[in-house]
Amino acid sequence: MDKILAKKDFPEWLKKLKAYRVYAPRKQDDVWNYEPVSGPDNVQLADVMTAVPAKKIVFPQREYFFEFRETDDNGTKLTELLPEDNPVVVFGVRPCEGKAVTLTDKVFSGEFEDPYYWKRRNATTLVGLACVNPPSPNCFCTSVNGSPHSKEGLDILLTDLGETFYAEALTKKGEKLIHEGQKLFKDPKPEDKKKAEKIQVEAEKKVRRKLNRIENVPLKLKGMFDSPLWDEESMSCIRCGICTYLCPTCHCFDMNDEVETTTPLQGKRVRTWDTCQFPDFTMHSSGHNPRPEKSSRLRQRINHKFQYFVEIWQNYQCTGCGRCISLCPVGIDIIKVVEKVRDYGS
Amino acid sequence: MVNIEDLKSEARRVLKGGKVKYIIGYERASETWKANPIFLRTPEAVDKLVWDPTCFHNLVRFVVDEKRRKAKEKQPDTRPVGIVAKGCDSRAIIVLLQEKFIERMDVYIIGVSCESTGVIDERKLAKKTAGKTVRKVEFGEKQNYIVTTEDGTMDIPAAEIMADRCLECIANIPVVSDHLLGDKTKRAVARPFQSVEKLESLSQEDKWKFWTDQMKKCIRCYACRSACPMCYCDECVVDTINFAVTADTTAEEKAQRIKWLEKSPVDSENIFYHLVRAIHLAGRCIDCGECERACPVNIPLRMLNKKMEKEAKELFGYDVGFDADQPALISCFRDGDPEDFIR
Repeated sequence: MDKILAKKDFPEWLKKLKAYRVYAPRKQDDVWNYEPVSGPDNVQLADVMTAVPAKKIVFPQREYFFEFRETDDNGTKLTELLPEDNPVVVFGVRPCEGKAVTLTDKVFSGEFEDPYYWKRRNATTLVGLACVNPPSPNCFCTSVNGSPHSKEGLDILLTDLGETFYAEALTKKGEKLIHEGQKLFKDPKPEDKKKAEKIQVEAEKKVRRKLNRIENVPLKLKGMFDSPLWDEESMSCIRCGICTYLCPTCHCFDMNDEVETTTPLQGKRVRTWDTCQFPDFTMHSSGHNPRPEKSSRLRQRINHKFQYFVEIWQNYQCTGCGRCISLCPVGIDIIKVVEKVRDYGS
Repeated sequence: MVNIEDLKSEARRVLKGGKVKYIIGYERASETWKANPIFLRTPEAVDKLVWDPTCFHNLVRFVVDEKRRKAKEKQPDTRPVGIVAKGCDSRAIIVLLQEKFIERMDVYIIGVSCESTGVIDERKLAKKTAGKTVRKVEFGEKQNYIVTTEDGTMDIPAAEIMADRCLECIANIPVVSDHLLGDKTKRAVARPFQSVEKLESLSQEDKWKFWTDQMKKCIRCYACRSACPMCYCDECVVDTINFAVTADTTAEEKAQRIKWLEKSPVDSENIFYHLVRAIHLAGRCIDCGECERACPVNIPLRMLNKKMEKEAKELFGYDVGFDADQPALISCFRDGDPEDFIR
């Protein structure tokens, strides 16, 4: 279902979404982030890249699994704490982030379906905004099977035509959201569709950075586990969590019991983001640390994205948003590292 | 102005002579306008060296790494590592010397004077260039920067885009070095604690609100800690890596493992983490500003440390990072201290 929405009617649409908790990019202290929208007039959809990706809405940095409580008869009472399924809508989602969510969907499905993830995921409507100009100088979506107007994972794709948005409903959830706007949405004229397509094609050409000829990288990585390349490339790594925490596809997590009172023993089991870049990541209780050096941790990040994930899910676990490049305090560049792997020994 | 050729020839000279293991300096990759750390091992690699207003990083961070690496080597190469150091970076070296974390012979310091300017603040520059792609930033002749964008060049007065820490810098010339480059005229800064004064003028309630709002933004990526050359603890309270369990470890022992803070990014834990760091840096922070620059969500972390620096100055007349022979602030006392309990 394709529709046209005048930009001036956008706040009116938001007003009709009373049943939803609405998120959109907001700038605070010079940094963009997805935040709850305070009023219908406070949303400006533009080509911006948030620091924290939209994954935080469906996979928050902290969430509860269950509550435990010691009972009077020395037993333990467990209460599952599933997230509420109030509907959520996120505006301004970048196509690379929509695609990233489809990858995380795979991880939290299959043999072990994660109810906490899916409860949020199913309640969330993602309204994507096609990139007219690359929101980051380090965008490289077109090199990892993506595009500035990719529809994967999104429920609606908006394309900015200047005075109007060209709105494509891609799922039932998306259609429902457009129905909420009722008459604000008009049927597009054939020239609107042509204009949207033209903008989309032009946008692809503007993606400046490229990661070419990487078809053989997954296979090549297999033979490079002990390569000295990892030492060289990680020399300047300071072992912070920026590249992974801010990656739209990284999904590793940790679980901890947060004790609130000891008598009676009471607290919650909590899931938080974890990252392969921290020294205690997957450390065994025996004291053995499978990745004691930062070189092995950089290797883990690259291998997971360009080998393991490809082997399991036939997809790169990278959608080319460029956050890890732009925000790395020492300029470690995933494109450069993968290129070096590609060209290694040749 | 620091002549890049002088810097390169000194780097080449020490590498050729085998005087150093390698040199930690700055390079600029082809895709970016910003400098990145580089580790030079051969005289030929020296061509990559740059010196420009984007050499933000405090490379002393990597001297800490080197010490760790050396400790693991069976036959360690005991030669020093070369390091390109700005004034602030050299003060970090002083603190590491003072704390006996490194020895003077562990480092060969190629000092570079920041002269009358300093490095830029990326976020301030982004506002000036308003979305234009930056290609290069260079030092100008008269307290200015020459910024090359896709649209041509801009001449920007230094004060407008200089990093706050450079505006308040009290050591534009390296305090310690083996070879010093650039103009040696000291710069006078009228109010070195200007940025803290603004925060100090707020009421207690407003201060608390300011900091709790800022701490809410924290995602606990620990980039502030990781970028800091003073955060060299073998085990940081935030990641317990030395807790080993053997076949004999009892359940009680496991359960009694101290958990200083939760991983959850909630107010109490975020504030606890940042205050622990601030207190641990009292009398040690040399205001290189790397914590604040590395922060992906722009928390003004420098203010916490600057306040500690101000306290040390006002209460004890202590200046951080100028004298390697001076006892460290928190490990010394004076006989004449007015407080009884200290003697």
